[in-house]
Amino acid sequence: MAKSITDPLIKAFYIAMKDARVYYFKAPNFTFGLLIPISLYLAFSMAGNINPVLIVAGLSSLAMLFGTTSIEAVAVVLEKQTGTFDRLLVAPVSLFTIILGKTIAGFFFGLILAAITVFPLAAFSGVAVMNPVLAVIAIAFASMAFSALGIITSVYANWVPDAQMYANFLRFPMTFLSGTFVALETYPFQMQVLARFLPLTYSVEALRNCISTSAVTSIYIIDIAVLSVFTLVFLAIATVTLRKRLS
Amino acid sequence: MKQKKTIGVVPENSNVYDEMSAWDNLIFAAQLYRVPKAEREKKAKELLELFGLYERRKDRAGVFSKGMKRRLTIATALVHIPTLLFLDEPTSGLDVQSSRMIRNLIKDLNKTGVTIFLTTHYIEEADQLCQRIAMINKGKIAALDSPEKLKASIQKHQIIEVSFDQTRNLEQKLSTLRNTEKVVQFDDKFRLHVRNTSETIPLLTDFARENGLNIVSINTLSPSLEDVFVEVTGLSAEIMATEKEQKKKAANLG
Repeated sequence: MAKSITDPLIKAFYIAMKDARVYYFKAPNFTFGLLIPISLYLAFSMAGNINPVLIVAGLSSLAMLFGTTSIEAVAVVLEKQTGTFDRLLVAPVSLFTIILGKTIAGFFFGLILAAITVFPLAAFSGVAVMNPVLAVIAIAFASMAFSALGIITSVYANWVPDAQMYANFLRFPMTFLSGTFVALETYPFQMQVLARFLPLTYSVEALRNCISTSAVTSIYIIDIAVLSVFTLVFLAIATVTLRKRLS
Repeated sequence: MKQKKTIGVVPENSNVYDEMSAWDNLIFAAQLYRVPKAEREKKAKELLELFGLYERRKDRAGVFSKGMKRRLTIATALVHIPTLLFLDEPTSGLDVQSSRMIRNLIKDLNKTGVTIFLTTHYIEEADQLCQRIAMINKGKIAALDSPEKLKASIQKHQIIEVSFDQTRNLEQKLSTLRNTEKVVQFDDKFRLHVRNTSETIPLLTDFARENGLNIVSINTLSPSLEDVFVEVTGLSAEIMATEKEQKKKAANLG
């Protein structure tokens, strides 16, 4: 019984480690993971002064969203293109384990991007992260959800640029609809409702929460719970769609 | 999952990770099959030595030649010691040296008890390597037997292969020789399908003398697997010969 749980997890971990070595240093990951979020921030900042808390939470969440979805676009599509994905399929590894492995690789990449944005950015903007432990937890849950989302956007693409384009259909609208650099409360009611269906909203909200207060608030708990649900739903959709695509 | 553990698969296109070293490719393959750490390192070393890649174990697979990548792909399919190995076009597009090396490795593997399921367009390769051959035409098995039994099944006539110092307009003339049923030209050679070789050979020497030709080579042939294929599929021998030449040229260029 224990082996049936640990065996897929260990294999998923091996796949993640392999993906890290093979795909982390591909150029699009850093372009999408760092340059685009910074450019977006600069575009927003032109409009006026932005609260530093919004900058730290928004920019870190964007780095994770763009970085993880970008690495999945590379890791999934390139493997399908070069035939290395077939090696995973013929091995005694389930499709869900393969997807989980790839999601974990994206998850770690998200952690790295968050680490090089949240804390240096907080120090630079003079913002103290009130509860760093909760911030790390929020980053972990958000990174996992975004990474799983990246798998979905890569399933139907045959080329990496196609996958990046499909991901952009989600990433850019989310950037503007999730209250990334603007407080969500200032949005019209309909847009606030729409924002509640987007994972980026919960990532930004959870991070803002642990930057502003050291207490565990009910909003933070709900944000983490919703991000977990997003992860599970995205993983399930990715498995089903990829299975269909392969068959 | 249990069945997957006992098989190894080598697809037509080598699918190793270019960014990883030969060693890391093998170790990763072994990890997927949960080969224990000590055993996987021992097996990786053993396979890299067997496939002549141990000296290059630290190099990225991306810098390897096509033949080396092919060998590495086969090695990764063997790291978990499968009992059944599927090989799809193992020597397709490879130079002569790499092809010979891979064929010898396949023979050696088979001797160690690994069952090999080989798919190939090179009929001579199937003849050299396989104990049982299925010929597939339009998605259906057209013939299935051992190579020698397949050849024996179509041996209605004998074949003489002859080459002269010139080839112009000879096909038609040769077909008028007594006992000759069919003449097919392959490059600078002619294959004569005859009823009796011992009667035809003297006729060929007379033919050469009468036409002012010199015989460069003359051989008697038993039907090849290619002849069997032509027979069972109804495919034109000329088309087969052209395809074969094209493949040879492609392999030499590769």
